[in-house]
Amino acid sequence: MSGVHDHHGSAEMTRRVDALVARLAHRGLVTDAAIAETIESFLTHAKPSNGFRIVARAWSDDAFRARLLDDANAAVAELGIDLSHWAPVTLRVVENTADVHNMIVCTLCSCYPIALLGPSPAWYKSAEYRARAVSEPRAVLAEFGVELPERTRIRVWDSTSEMRYLVLPRRPAGSDGLDEQRLATLVTRNGLIGTALV
Amino acid sequence: MERPHDLGGKPGFGAIDVAEAAEPFHNEWEARVFAINRLLLAAGRYTLDEFRDAIERLEPHVYADASYYERWLLAIEGMTVEPASEAER
Amino acid sequence: MSARFALGACVRAQAAAREGHTRLPAYLRGRIGSIVALRGRYPLADERARGLRDARVEMVYAVQFSLGDHDVVADLWESYLEGPA
Repeated sequence: MSGVHDHHGSAEMTRRVDALVARLAHRGLVTDAAIAETIESFLTHAKPSNGFRIVARAWSDDAFRARLLDDANAAVAELGIDLSHWAPVTLRVVENTADVHNMIVCTLCSCYPIALLGPSPAWYKSAEYRARAVSEPRAVLAEFGVELPERTRIRVWDSTSEMRYLVLPRRPAGSDGLDEQRLATLVTRNGLIGTALV
Repeated sequence: MERPHDLGGKPGFGAIDVAEAAEPFHNEWEARVFAINRLLLAAGRYTLDEFRDAIERLEPHVYADASYYERWLLAIEGMTVEPASEAER
Repeated sequence: MSARFALGACVRAQAAAREGHTRLPAYLRGRIGSIVALRGRYPLADERARGLRDARVEMVYAVQFSLGDHDVVADLWESYLEGPA
C-alpha cells in the first residue's frame, strides 16, 4: 500500500484492529476491500498540492483571490477540487498581510483541512502545539524558524466548529515573473497552516 | 468535570517536535483505523461529535499515554460494542 | 429566527464549565470578545454528541478575543455566548 510504511512493535495493535474489523464485518458495517479502498482514495485525493494550486491561483488572479476570501468553497470548486470528498466542511481562507499573520490550530482535537493539505503532520496533533499555539504563538513560530516583525499581529484561528481554515501566505518578493505552475512550487504545507511564511 | 482533550493555553508543555514523518501513517493499522472511522461515520453509525466525545471520555492517563490513532481505536471499540442483550439473543 | 448577536457586538464566553462534550474551550471561558463573522446555523455540537438526531440548530459566530500580544478567533455556538454586562 503506498504511503503506508510498517514499523516494528505494531503487532498487538494490528491484532486489535483485526478483531475490530472482524466484529464490524460480521455486522455488515465494513469489509477489508472497503477499508483498502478508503485508504487508497484518501492518499490519492487529499494532498497538499491542492492547497498549493489554490494559493498560486490567488497570487496570480486578483478576482479569484477576492472570490476565495469571500466564499472559499465555491472558489475551490472552480479549480475542480472536491472538498466534500471527505466530509462536508466550510472552508475559510485567511490572508496574511504586513500587519496580520494567521495561524491555524485545533485545541480541542485535530480539525484540519485534510482535503487540501493531506494527512496532518504529527506536530499539528501534538499536545505541545495544541496547548501553546493560543497562549504563546510567537514562541511557537520561533520553533518553526519563523520570526515576524514586532508590528505584525498574530491571529490564531482555533478550529472549534465545522469551519476549516487555510492560510493564504504573502506572495514572496521576487516572484513577479513566475507563472502559476512555478508559483505553486514556492508554497509549503506549513505555509498554509501559518507555521511558515510561505 | 475536566476532560483531558481541552489543551488550549494549558501550561507545562515544552518544545514542539517539528520533525516531519516520511509517511502519513506510521503503521498500516493506523491507516486501517482511519478508514474504519470514515466508513462508520459515512454509514451514520455515529456522528463526528459522538466520536469526539468518546475520545474525550477516555481516562486522562489513558488519553495522555495513548498514541493518536490508539485513541481513535479505543473510541471506536467503545462505541461499537454490541449490547449484551443483543449478543445473547 | 434571527441571530441574537450582530456583527461587531461585544460578547462574553460563558464562564461556567459545560458538562459533557462541548466546543467551547476552557481557555476562552469568561473572556470578552467581539463578533467578527456570522458562520451560519449548525446543530449544537453538545447535543449532537449525545446522539440527538434532532439537535438544536443555532447560529455559530466567529468571535475574536485579544490575549495580550495576539488574537484568537474561535467559532462559537450562540448558547456559549452571553451579553458582556
